[in-house]
Amino acid sequence: MSIVIMRAAFFALGGLVVVTTLAGDIVSERTKKLHFSSIVVDTHEDTTQLLLDPKFDLGDRHTSGSIDIPRVREGGLGAIFFSIWIPSKVTGPTAVQKALEQIEAVREQVCKHPKDLVLATTAEQIRQAHKNGKIAALMGVEGGHMINSDLAVLRKYAGLGVRYMTLTHSGNDEWADSSTDKAVHNGLTDFGRNVVREMNRLGVMVDISHVSDKTFYDALEVSRAPLLASHSSCRAICDAPRNMTDQMMKDLAAKGGVIQINYHVGFLSQEFRNAEKADPKINEAIAGEVAKRCGGDANEGCMLIEGDRITREYVTKGVLPRVDYRKIIEHIDHAVKVAGMDHVGLGSDFDGANMPYGMEDATMVPKITEALLKKGYSDGDVKKILGENTLRLMTDVERVSGELNANK
Amino acid sequence: MRYLRAAFYFCIAIFACYPAVGTANADEIADRARKLHFSSIVLDTHDDTTQRFFSKDFDIAKRNDDGSIDIPRMREGGMNAIFFSIWIDGRIMGPPAIQKALDQIDAVHENVRRNSKDMMFCRTAEDVRRAHAQGKIAALIGVEGGHMIGNDIRMARIFGDLGVRYMTLSHFYNDEWADSSTDKPVHNGLTDYGKDIVREMNRQGIMVDISHVSDKTFYDALEVSRSPLIASHSSCRALCNHVRDMSDDMIKALAAKSGVIQINYEMSFIDQAYKDASDKLSGGVVAMIDQLKKECGDDETCMGKKMTEMQQKAVAEGKLPHVSWERIIDHIDHAVKLVGADHVGLGSDFDGASMPEGMEDASKLPKITEALMRKGYSDDDIRKILGGNLLRVMEQNEQISRELQAQQ
Repeated sequence: MSIVIMRAAFFALGGLVVVTTLAGDIVSERTKKLHFSSIVVDTHEDTTQLLLDPKFDLGDRHTSGSIDIPRVREGGLGAIFFSIWIPSKVTGPTAVQKALEQIEAVREQVCKHPKDLVLATTAEQIRQAHKNGKIAALMGVEGGHMINSDLAVLRKYAGLGVRYMTLTHSGNDEWADSSTDKAVHNGLTDFGRNVVREMNRLGVMVDISHVSDKTFYDALEVSRAPLLASHSSCRAICDAPRNMTDQMMKDLAAKGGVIQINYHVGFLSQEFRNAEKADPKINEAIAGEVAKRCGGDANEGCMLIEGDRITREYVTKGVLPRVDYRKIIEHIDHAVKVAGMDHVGLGSDFDGANMPYGMEDATMVPKITEALLKKGYSDGDVKKILGENTLRLMTDVERVSGELNANK
Repeated sequence: MRYLRAAFYFCIAIFACYPAVGTANADEIADRARKLHFSSIVLDTHDDTTQRFFSKDFDIAKRNDDGSIDIPRMREGGMNAIFFSIWIDGRIMGPPAIQKALDQIDAVHENVRRNSKDMMFCRTAEDVRRAHAQGKIAALIGVEGGHMIGNDIRMARIFGDLGVRYMTLSHFYNDEWADSSTDKPVHNGLTDYGKDIVREMNRQGIMVDISHVSDKTFYDALEVSRSPLIASHSSCRALCNHVRDMSDDMIKALAAKSGVIQINYEMSFIDQAYKDASDKLSGGVVAMIDQLKKECGDDETCMGKKMTEMQQKAVAEGKLPHVSWERIIDHIDHAVKLVGADHVGLGSDFDGASMPEGMEDASKLPKITEALMRKGYSDDDIRKILGGNLLRVMEQNEQISRELQAQQ
């Protein structure tokens, strides 16, 4: 390649950078300084599904999806919770085995990338990882169906490093109602309450994203430790059952809990949600297209990525509205006003949802810091939202666990 | 005292008898043996007590009038390191096998936690030494049968992560990748996947246990394993021709690669006359267990009780011969003569087999030390047999595991 062509290519590239800068706001030095010195914790990534493909390496920079080591580094994420997830319809011992496979897949990635990743199970270990310039990898089990109604299995997950469990996913499980299923348990069953108590003892955070409102209130009542909403947004702005009402957020905060704002466009934007609801065929068409591209519904990793891609195509076509990443800031700001500065954090749902424009992957996360500073948030407040609130919650959960074990 | 000495001389003159009972010399030996025994790490690599944790009537902290293992009797017998066996019927496979194994692993963890004044969960030889120094019983876990990983190598890693320190490649039946000694061979030893599993066990520091496997599987494992093997509970075929025991050639080959054979106390593995009579009576061990299964279903306590009843009744009726605990010493001595004192240890099979007279439970173990001393074994050799050899093999496995993990 001649110098002339190379230079031309360079300028073309430069032009591209300017375009993205104009559209997507390159962050200021002040933002960078604050962001990259903070511990940024994201409590929900569905990247684990991708790890099941032996060809996928978290160490490579990928052109699809949102999370890999290079992009997590570039975006200054210090701790990520890998979500252990299988669909609600998979139950019984098969659910247990599949969950274990995913736990193992996360642990294997940590073994494979010892210079970049470290498995963490406590707030202190996250701080240590940050000091050592490593990304803390944590695990959350997204759905109580994966314990197969067996506290022994829950304990083994905890033993393997799982640090939160979402009480349900999209369907009810045997002992808790989901927000997106017909209620059958009136919240938590007696066994479900025992699950929450055992989670308290084990120091596994009780995650109330996905659960029905009644399940949330039951969990809030029975849990000795503050609760986590690992990836939920505000219902006042977007009326999705997966989001939390103002009252729920207040009650969560009153007991020390934290809501981690989800970036999924269908949870951020009422307009997007309305468009989806107005024509149910859109989602059916997307699901059909996804199944076609992924060869059925067995490859969850492919489905998550393609689902996001096809949704984007529908936005480009004008079938679905375009949602900007600033919607995330709106939700953070609303939650701060309702629940207080100490009770809001980040739970992106990267690699498992449809990301808004300008928040396509982990590299974009500093823009949240920039936007919050612009809104007049203090450095200390921004740090809380980026991760300190979650770390405090973890410390509280650990303390309660210590107390409960000492009482034995 | 004089009478005693007179009796001693009388004994020598008339019978040249062994062991010399009730002499001053004998008292001195008994005393020395007790001191040696109770200052040693006495490690038993195979106890089926885990099944009993699921019975409401069983409390390991209390002295039980049935079975062989509980804390009081272990204390009394100076048994201070125990491998709890994780075992389910070899015909249960796939995800249910994994979940049942998890339940049992959890039962060990929970029982150790509830009795933390007496027991400590251990993963390494160093842990065992630390437990001993603190006066606690070291609790370890072995998985008795490769079927419990559900034909999924990742589950071997999960088990390792949960503290499993050996896995027996098969139980009574072939699993998907290894032939058993008590089933019709279908894999000609280890399959390629089985060899990968052995390599993975090396990497995880999980000892490869070749008790129960076919001779070909043993030789395949010996060839592929980087780490020394154990036979967690097998005796000598030269003394009792049972497929579950090891031939002299096998014991030599095992020892040549630094492995250790842990002598099993089961009567039909240590006494030829008993085995022959028992075969006639029951049609072999698998047929007998099938019969008991019909009567007891999954109730392991029922199985154990019935087995003991059947066996005691048959002995009383003269259908089965009496077997003395001293047969254990014969097997230890045979193996030591064959391969030296560095390659022999104890794998009782307590709570999972029919014990010889005089070795009914853990409280009787000091008799082994005394008998070896009377045979002229040095204190060092006795300590090795009681536990030192197994700890050495564990350390070798740990070392190779570290090397293999560093290589990747």
